[in-house]
Amino acid sequence: MQQAYRYAVLYFLLFSLLLLGSSLLLFEDKIGLSVTAVLQYYLGNEEKFLVEKSWLTILKIILPHIFAFGLFFMVLLHFILFTKYKKSKQFIKLSYAIFIVGFLELSSPYFIIIGLDFFAYVKLISFILLELLLLYTLWLLLASIYKH
Amino acid sequence: MKPLLNGLLVFMLLYFIADFFVVNATLGLVSEDIKMTLFGNIDEFIDPMDKSVFLEYLHGQIFFIMMILLTLSTVYARLCSIKRYSIIVINILMISALLSLTTLFISYFYIPNLVGVYIFSFFIWHIIAFIMALHSLWNLNFATSI
Repeated sequence: MQQAYRYAVLYFLLFSLLLLGSSLLLFEDKIGLSVTAVLQYYLGNEEKFLVEKSWLTILKIILPHIFAFGLFFMVLLHFILFTKYKKSKQFIKLSYAIFIVGFLELSSPYFIIIGLDFFAYVKLISFILLELLLLYTLWLLLASIYKH
Repeated sequence: MKPLLNGLLVFMLLYFIADFFVVNATLGLVSEDIKMTLFGNIDEFIDPMDKSVFLEYLHGQIFFIMMILLTLSTVYARLCSIKRYSIIVINILMISALLSLTTLFISYFYIPNLVGVYIFSFFIWHIIAFIMALHSLWNLNFATSI
C-alpha cells in the first residue's frame, strides 16, 4: 500500500477509536451498562421519568445506525484485504461475527418491548462484544501498519 | 472515473461550506457563542447543553468527519503528484481534525478554555480540506501528468 494511503488508514483507525469511545460513553449515559438499566430504558420507569419506548421511537434511533454500521464495518473490514490476514479463515469469521453481532445489537430492543426481557442481556452483551470485535480489528490493522 | 471523482469532490466542497453554516447555527464559531451553547448563561436564561445531547453531537461528528476525510485523503493521495507533499498535508488535516474533536470533548467535560484550540483546529481542518478538494479538482481536470 502506498505510504499516503497508509497514513489515511492509520488516522481512520484513530477516528474509529474515538467513535468506539464516544459510543461507549453515550450508551453508558443514555441507557446504562446493566441489565436493569437496559430494561428500564426501553420499558420505562416512573421514578426515573423514563417513558416506554415505542416501535417507532426505536426505529428512529436505529435507522441512521443501520446505514452507519454497514458502511463502517465494510470500510474497516476491507482494509484487512491489504494485510496478511486477507485469505485467512479468521478474517471471514471476524466479518460474519461483526455483522451478526451488529444486527443483534440493533434488533434486540424490539424483543425487549414485546416482553422478552432476556433480550436485555442480548442487547448488553452484543454491544460489548461488538466494541471488542471492532477493537480487535483495529488492533490487527494497526499491527499490520506498524510492521510496514 | 473522472466524472465520478469530479462529482464527489464538488459535493465535498459543498459539504465543507455548508458545515460552517450548520456549526455556526448549532454550536457557534466564536469562543463566546460556543461557551454559551455548551455551558449556558444564567443571566440570559440559557440552559447548558445536556450531556447526552453533547455526546450524540460528538458521536455523529466523529462518524461524518472520519468518513469524509478518509475519502478525501485517498482521492488526494491518488491525484496529488508530489507524494511527500501529500503526506504532509494529510497529516496536518487529520491531526487538526482529531484535535478539534478531542478539544471539544475536553472543553465540555474538563477545561472550558480549550474552546479556543477547538476553534483554531476546526478552521484549520476545514480550510485544508477545502484546499485539498480544490487541488484534487484542478489536478483531475487540468494537470497533464495524471
